[in-house]
This record gives sequence, C-alpha cells and structure tokens, in this order.
Amino acid sequence: MKQTLVRKEPEKGSSAVQEAGMPQGRLLLSPQVNVAKRILMSEYFVLYLTILYILILTPIIPRLWHPMNIRNILSNMWPLLVVAIGQTFVLILAGIDLSQTSVMAMSSVVGAVVMTSSADPILFTKSPLWGVFLTEQGGLLGGSPWALPVGILAMLAVGLIIGFLNGFSVAYFRMPPFIVTLVSMMLFSAMAIFLTKSENIRYLPEAYLRISKSWFSVISGAMIIAIILAIVAHILLTRTLFGKRLYAVGINTTASQISGVPARRTIITAYMVSGLCASIAAVLYSSRLEMGRPTLGSTLFIDIVGANIIGGISLAGGKGKITWTIFGVFFFIILANSLNMLNLSFYIIDMVKGSVILIAALLDVARNRIRKAQM
Amino acid sequence: MDKTRVIKFTMKNSTAVLFVLIFIMFGLIAPRFFTVKNFQNIMSNASYIGIIAVGMTFVLLTGGIDLSVGSTMYLCAVVCGKLINEAKMPVLFAVIISLLVGVLIGSVNAFAITRLRLVPFITTLITQTIARGFGLFITRSIAVNYPDSVTLMSTSKVLGFIPLQIFIFLSVVAVAAIVLGKTRYGRQLYAVGNDLESAKKAGIRCDRLIASTYIISGLLAALGGFVTITQIGRVNAGFGSGDEFDAIAAAVLGGASLFGGIGTVFPGTVLGTVMIEMIQAGLVFANIDIYIQPIIMAGIIFLAVFIDSVRTTQIQKLERRNILKA
Amino acid sequence: MAEVVFAYKNITKRFFGVHALKDVSFELERGRILGLVGENGAGKSTLMNILGGVLQPDEGQMILRGAPFAPKNPLEASSAGIEFIHQELNLFTNLSVSENISISRFPCLGSSPLINKKKMRESCKKLLKSLNLDISPNILVENLSPGERQLVEIAKALSTNADILLFDEPTTSLTAKETEHLFSIMRSLRDEGKSIIYISHILGDVKSLVDDIVVLRDGQVICGGPIEDFPIHRMINLMVGREISNVFPERHSHAKDRVILEAKHVSETGIVRDVNITVREGEIVGMFGLMGSGRTEFARMLFGVDPYKEGSITVCTEPLPKRNPQQSIKRGLAFITENRREEGLLMDYPILENIGLVSLPDFSSRMTRMVDSKRLFKQANEIATSLRLKCNDLKNQKVKSLSGGNQQKVVIGKWLLKHPSMLIMDEPTRGIDVGAKYEVYLIMEQLAKEGTGILFISSEVEELMAMCDRIVVWSQGEVMHEFEKSDFSQERIMRIAFRQSLEYSEEEKAVVNGQD
Repeated sequence: MKQTLVRKEPEKGSSAVQEAGMPQGRLLLSPQVNVAKRILMSEYFVLYLTILYILILTPIIPRLWHPMNIRNILSNMWPLLVVAIGQTFVLILAGIDLSQTSVMAMSSVVGAVVMTSSADPILFTKSPLWGVFLTEQGGLLGGSPWALPVGILAMLAVGLIIGFLNGFSVAYFRMPPFIVTLVSMMLFSAMAIFLTKSENIRYLPEAYLRISKSWFSVISGAMIIAIILAIVAHILLTRTLFGKRLYAVGINTTASQISGVPARRTIITAYMVSGLCASIAAVLYSSRLEMGRPTLGSTLFIDIVGANIIGGISLAGGKGKITWTIFGVFFFIILANSLNMLNLSFYIIDMVKGSVILIAALLDVARNRIRKAQM
Repeated sequence: MDKTRVIKFTMKNSTAVLFVLIFIMFGLIAPRFFTVKNFQNIMSNASYIGIIAVGMTFVLLTGGIDLSVGSTMYLCAVVCGKLINEAKMPVLFAVIISLLVGVLIGSVNAFAITRLRLVPFITTLITQTIARGFGLFITRSIAVNYPDSVTLMSTSKVLGFIPLQIFIFLSVVAVAAIVLGKTRYGRQLYAVGNDLESAKKAGIRCDRLIASTYIISGLLAALGGFVTITQIGRVNAGFGSGDEFDAIAAAVLGGASLFGGIGTVFPGTVLGTVMIEMIQAGLVFANIDIYIQPIIMAGIIFLAVFIDSVRTTQIQKLERRNILKA
Repeated sequence: MAEVVFAYKNITKRFFGVHALKDVSFELERGRILGLVGENGAGKSTLMNILGGVLQPDEGQMILRGAPFAPKNPLEASSAGIEFIHQELNLFTNLSVSENISISRFPCLGSSPLINKKKMRESCKKLLKSLNLDISPNILVENLSPGERQLVEIAKALSTNADILLFDEPTTSLTAKETEHLFSIMRSLRDEGKSIIYISHILGDVKSLVDDIVVLRDGQVICGGPIEDFPIHRMINLMVGREISNVFPERHSHAKDRVILEAKHVSETGIVRDVNITVREGEIVGMFGLMGSGRTEFARMLFGVDPYKEGSITVCTEPLPKRNPQQSIKRGLAFITENRREEGLLMDYPILENIGLVSLPDFSSRMTRMVDSKRLFKQANEIATSLRLKCNDLKNQKVKSLSGGNQQKVVIGKWLLKHPSMLIMDEPTRGIDVGAKYEVYLIMEQLAKEGTGILFISSEVEELMAMCDRIVVWSQGEVMHEFEKSDFSQERIMRIAFRQSLEYSEEEKAVVNGQD
C-alpha cells in the first residue's frame, strides 16, 4: 500500500518523540513517528509484537525455551489454529460461528462411538446409544481396521452437516448468524451430552492417538495437518473464485448478488468450512486427550474469536488473511503459555487474556482511523 | 384485503400464538400442569431470567447485545456475599453496593461501545471474561454462602401473597414497560434502533441513549443475581454462566429483533421468559429425560427465530409499496 | 424591499481539498419562496447541510435575522426555527405518525418524563388536517404509502412553527395531484410570512412555484434573481454552463432488426401491470417516468433481482429464468443499478477486484477454480484505459476513494469486461459531473454501434431525448406510451408521465390548472 506522509496526531506511544524532535505547530511528522506508524500499520505488527514479547520474557522465564515447553506450545497451537482458520472464513463474511465448540464436542463423541474398542457398562448403560451403537465390545467398528478411516470421516461429516445447517439457515431464511449458531451451539452440545450421558469415551485406536503424538522431535501429525490446512486455506482465500467471492459477499451481499455472485452458496460453503475445521480440530484435540469428550471445546469460543481479533480480523467482515490468523493464534498461545509458567491462577489468566483481546480490538479501531485519515 | 389482514395479525403476534399452543399442549399431556402452585413456581423461576431479559431488551432495541450479564450477576452476588459475610455490612447496604457494581460494569461496556467505538459483541464478551475472572479472584473460586437473613427473603410475601422475587420481577417489568412505552426516553430508544442516522438528524443524543441501555442492563443483571441468591443461598464458580444466552433467547422469543428497533418488555419479553420456564416445567411434568430438555429448548428457540425471520420477509412483502392505482 | 431573514456570506467548503462550495453568497427574504437549482454535485446539498448544522463551513458565515448563525448540530438549527424536508425520508417506521412528528420534542405531563399522549395526538390531528391528510395519528409509519410518508415528514417540519423551511426534492414520490396539493400548502405558508427554500430538478415546478431563484454550478452561485427573468431554457443553460447542444455527443441510429430483449405482458401485484417492451440489437431505448413509476422495479425484474408473477421475458427469443441474476449474466444481460454505493460497487474493495467481479468465472480454471490474476489484470487494465478511468493504482486503490464519475466508470467497466449483448442502465449519470456524463454518453454510443442493446432509464428528459432511439414513458406501474425519435417532445413526454392526455391546447391547460 502506498505510504504517505500524513497530517495527523501521532498515536500516544510516540508523542514524546514528537515533542522532543519537532518544532511546535509543524504538521509533518518526524521520521521516528513515521517508523512507529509504519510498524503499527504493518501487516506483520502482531508478529513483531509476539517477537518483542518473547524477547522480554526470555530473561524472566528461562524455561520458555525448554524443549518440553516448546513442544507443549506447539501442541497447544495446532488445534487452535485449525479451528480459528475456520472461524476466519465466517468472520470474512461478517458472520460469526458460535457453534464451533459444539461441533468439536459432537465430532469427538461421534468419532469415539465409531472407533472405541471397549465401553464400560456401568457408565454407558443409560446412554441412548447403548446396545446398538455402543456395547461392551466397543463402538460400531471397535477393533476393526476400518475404525480409523470411518471414524475420522464420520467426525468430518458431523462438522460439514452442522456447518451446512448453519449456513442454510443464514442464507435461505435470513436468520441472524449470531442466533443461528447460538442455537446450534446449545442444541449440539446438549446432544453430545445426551448421547453419552456426560461420560468420556476412552479406548480409542492406537493409530488415532498417534496423530497428536510426536513423530520426530517437534513434528507430529497434528502439525502436518494444521500446516497443510493453513496452506490450503490461504490459497483458497487468495487465489480461487470462492475466496474472491467470499470477500465480496462479506463487503456487500446485495451488490455481489447483482454482479452474479452466488451469495447463498458462498455463505453455506463458508459455514461448512468453519464446521469442517472445527471437526478437524476435534480430531487433534480428542486424539491428544485420548478420548471422546462431550464437553470438548466448551470453553474455547473466546480463545478462537480472541485469536482472530488479535490477528486483526474485524467482525465487520470483508477483511482477514490466514497469515493474520496464524499470528493471532501464535501470540495467543505464547501469552497463555507464559502466564501459565508464571504460576498465575486461572482466573487471573482469563482476565489478562480478556484485556489483551480488548487492547487488540482497540488497536484495530485506531488502525482504521489512521487508515481513514491517510485516504 | 381482509385475508391479508388476518395473516398479518397472526404473523405479528406469532409469539402469543406459540405461547397459547404450547400452554394447551402441556395441559393436555399433564393435567396437573394447570394448577396455581405450578404457575407460581413458573413465575418464581422466571423472575430472575426475566429481570435480566428486561435489561437485555433495552440493549437489543438499540441493535446491540450484552454478553456480560451472566458474569455481572456472578460478580455482584459475590461482592454482596463478601460484604455481608466478611465486612459484616447490613444487607441493604451490601445490596446497594452490589447493584452499583452492576452499574459500573454496564458503564464500562457503555464507555467502550460509545466512546471507543468497539463492537458490542466483542466488548461484552471481554467484560464477561474479566468480570468473572475478578469474581473468581475475590473468592479464590470458592463458593459463597449467604446468611439466613438473605435466604429468608425468598419466603417473604409482599402484600401477604406475592412472593418477593415475583414482586421484584413484576415491578421491574412495570417500570420498564412504562419507560419504553410512555416516556420520551423510551420512544427515542425505538427511534435510535430503527434508524440511527435519522435519529441523529432529529437531534436525539444517540450515544447517550445507547450508553444508558448497557448501564440498565448491568443494573438489572445485578438485581437478577440478588434475586437468585435469595432463592438458592449459595453461589459457586459457575453461577450465572450461560444465563446471557437464556436472557437473549427470552427477549428474542418475545419478538425482539437483533437488528434493533423491534421488541417490547410487556408483553414481549415477559411472554418469552415465561414461555421458557413453562416449557422447562412442562418437560418435567411430562417426565422427559433431563438430558433431552436443553435439546428441546434449543429447538423451540430456533423455531421462534425462524418464524420471526419468515414473518419479517412476509410482512415486508405485504407492505411493499404499491405503485399501481387499484 | 422585503426583510432579509437569512443570508449566506462567502461560504466556502472543501472535502479532501476539493471545493464543494466556493464563496457562495445569497439572501432569503421573508414571505418568499426561493428556488435553488443546479446539477447533481453542484453543491446544493452541501449548502443545505451547512445551514442545518450537519456540516460546518471552512470559510464565510451565515446571518440569521441579522445575527451571525453557526449551528453545530441539527438540533441547534431546529431550535433556531429552521426545518428540513429531505428527499430521503427521516421517519421511524416502527413509531406512530404522532410520535414521529414530535420525536425531538415530546410534550410531557407537567415536569414528569411521561409523554402527554393526548396533547401529542391532538396537535398531530390538527397538523394532519391542515395538510388534508386523512390518516390516524396512531397508525405506524410502516403502514403508510410513500406519498403519505412524505406528507408526514412535512407535518413534522411544520410542527415546530419554524419560519424557514427547506424542501429538498419533496415531490419525487408524489403523484401529480399530491404535488399540486403540496404546492398550494407551500404557497399558503409563504403567505403566512414563512420563508421557503425549494430545491428541485423539475424545472417546470420551480418555474410555477418560486418567487426568486438561485442557480448553482460547480459550487458557485452563477446567477440569481426574480423568477420572471429566468425562463426554463435559461436556467438549463446556466446550470450546465454551456449551450445544451454541446452536452450530448452526436448520435446515429444503429438499430438492427434482430430483437435482443423482449418482455411480454409482465405483471406483478401492486408493482407493474402488463408491460411489453422490446429492445433490438444496437438500439438505445429510454424509459422515462417519475420516481416510483415502476421503471426501476421493472428493470430489476428483467435482470432477475426481483420476482414477477405473470408474463415472460425472452433474450434472443429464448425464455430467461426468473429471479436468477447469474443466469441473466450468462445470457448476456448487464445491469447498472441506480444506487452505485449500495448495489453497484464494493466500496471497500480495490478497483481491480470490482472490475473483475462479474467475469471471475471466465478467468478461473474449470478444474481447480483458481483465478488467473495476471490475465484478469491485463484485461481490466485495458478496460480501465479505454474508459479513461482516473486512478493511481488499479490493484490496491479502493473504489470509495474515487470521484463519482470514476466510480460509475468502474461499474460500467465491470460489465463491459463481460461483453454483454444487452445493457440495462438505471440512472447511470446521476450524481456525476457534466464531463463524466458526456463520457458515459460516448460509451453508450460506442456500445450501440457495436450492436449492444441498451435500456436507458433516466429522470432527465433531455438526456433521454438526446441519446435514445425510442422512449417508453411510465406512470404508476404501467407503460403509457412509446415515442419514436421523430415524435420526441419534452412537454408531451412530461404530460404522459403525469397521466395527462397527449393532446395539448392552451384552453385545456387553463382548465386543468383552474380545477386544481
């Protein structure tokens, strides 16, 4: 983008620079302020911030660089990245998907019901699945070599179906996305709990659990899946017909429709992508937890949306890049990890997380104002 | 012409129609449903969500949303409990201070939304996290118990027959209904929700009105929290979480639009709240698995929103301007 | 000489460094109606917004009743006795008529915050009666017709006892009878001693209504004085700043025999009735009608944006599916909508992406659906050059940073990239300057020459008469008459649009006016 020297008061952090280096009443800015502004307006601002944060933390928490911790950070990062990428698609549409958490819960339950090789009658006799889908010998395909592929496909199908239902309601009935996904969040998390009577399903196939385990050093299946997904999503958004149409619909649905964009199809696809990503994340999370869990992800919504906002993706739609999501998730995970290492209690961590998201949202407002002033 | 009028009437009153249908249905399934005792229970259970939903209606009318009410309830209840238990403050003072805490959280929301121009969804999602975090910080996530002086309130009757919580609920509804329907403030609120730009041109102080709705919502959330603790006498770490969704659902079921400008406290939100409690009570009467109940609830909310969106498009069609001269 | 109520003194206003108003001065006298005319973008609305406190002038000042006047917001202007009747209505559809009228100053019960509903209703009733409007004060505005809404808006302005009233194109959604009724109200208001500024594009109305006139062009007052000195042709010449003959390019008829678009018996309840229209290859067909006459609605049905109940639309003799813009585009239709900002452009999106939006499928591979950005850029660039689009950076510059005329070129460009055989243009020259208009006309002429059929909707009779091979005149949802080029006459077209008989004589005119 064209950078121009603008007449505009500098942001707070650099006012000292201006006072020191500038004669009063002059409208042109000093070079320092411009550098500060350029950094603030840069696409990589969040990345710079993360690096700065790490540099500051290194002397305070030397354990940050311990291989165990790096592995921990990464294994926390991949699933969140996957689900946050899905949310990015919907946010570009000026929508929101609250149901991702319930997709994760439902997917993990459905996958586990297909794959588990043993179920405890004491826990599960009250489940409506008992006797047909779930027995003492495990789930539908428990022990069978087909368990893994069918199980994973079933999990992905759950995400696609719920995403389709959301998208269809938004596109065809013109219901507000917030309410639609709120209802499906309520519905499917209640369903996941109902199906299992709130019990976790264990005894998943070894091959499934290996997805999240380390293959070599920091390399794991989760990592490969997340990276491939990020690349595919990036190409999808920047290079394909669907991606271009997604932004167009997010900016102005009516104008896009008149220009021949199949807006409804685009909306449905975006919600399906969101559901699919949530179910892939469910694979990563549940293989790591080694169980199908009906409450999986129930507290993750703020993390997902928070990471997107930190990355700079606005709720107003039409804006967003996968790289931004990656930076946002990266920062968010580093933040959470470092707070954990400081031995803070969980509620303090939550408050700090909330404040950081708040600051990110404020920064976004500030950046928009500067951009407007530059026009 | 008459036919379209009938269609229009049913569509505009779909909540009431749905209410009556569900009411009759449960009556048929379980005749015990039609007892005074049962109605009193329903009303009593509806009171606290109802109070919050009234505040939510104010916010929704401006096209905003308040996700922080559940945490506000929690934090205010905790502050109230701590003041009574540890500072040995008189109950009345403790309650007043806890209500002020609600006002404070509402003011923070209002400030961020109208001054800093943050999106209501994000702002209130963040205050939700921070308010709960602060409450947990105060209590170290240990449950707070309330003395008998508080819990006995729930058994007291106003005028000898109205349980206190129902009385508070009805008073809130009465005041809110008058404010929205009969005062300058209320009518201007509808104008702001209908068309912000025109409202500004008409000289309405839109920011001030919008800000006030979040403060009202915070205050009523605190009041709702207090009403609940008189009933249950104990507040644990999960108190109030998710209640914001029930409040939104109640308001939306009652016909409030998420786009602003449409909705009433009475009958709308009251009807929505009572309907939710009625369904829950009805499901218990009908011996439905408690695990299925939230699924059915979600289904009914979906139905209500679905009807609302269909009716909006239908009404739009019916009211499309007529160019042809008959 | 009458008393001067209000005066602009050397007002200057710039937007992003561009002059919207330059040294504007004129006066409004008590008990007079002042007509303010000028092309779109001449600065009329900026001037009004300054008076209304929506905008502040960069230089100059206003004098109200002898004292300097600088309103900071609409409320201040309103309490100083200045009221607006805007073209776009500022009514709240979810409130009742009486509430709308008193929204800024509800009468209250004593000092309580409660509204005195009785008083509110009574005063509303009185106002409605004075406007001869027979509706209940309790009815919600959403249930009113556009004409009724306009009158409610006027009632709202009158309710404050303002002595300066501004009418900005108030007649666009009114029928002829309602218009005449409004004018008689305005005249009686004037006779009561109120001062009125009247803005309109319908110069005939201006001529018959106002006492004084001010002509604006490019943000400057060009001329002003008593209306007697300004016959309509002089107003037009002053507004456009050149002889009218130079505003339009030379036209040749390129119409061939082959019919591209044919609509037969198209009807939709309450909107249009039994419309038949054909457009041939290379033909420019004009559609004229007052706002709300159904021409825009019909264009939307043609393109598949809105539904219709009966009739058929065929493109090159093959039926066109209903409500499917995608199919319409595939069949060679293109649609330039009347509101660029809402329906024509993605304002927050770069120019290149806007130009490419319609043709994206042509630039993406069938298998992978990847878009060939290089080829798209090349062709979009060619289109932009051929349209003489003025911009810095096709790839990164957002459309909203362009001027109105250049924005319109982007809209045209995005359809030209698709090489349509039939182009529907709804008010394509609205809100753009004279130079840009001329370029749009040139593009139309060029397209017609290449064989494209054009359906050209406009509210300006002059441009239709200059550009079209045929003009179809609409009124209240029906096609009233078709004029061949040889029959074009501004007066006859206007008479049809107002549903008056085509035959025209002095006696008749006198009779019609006398009855009204």
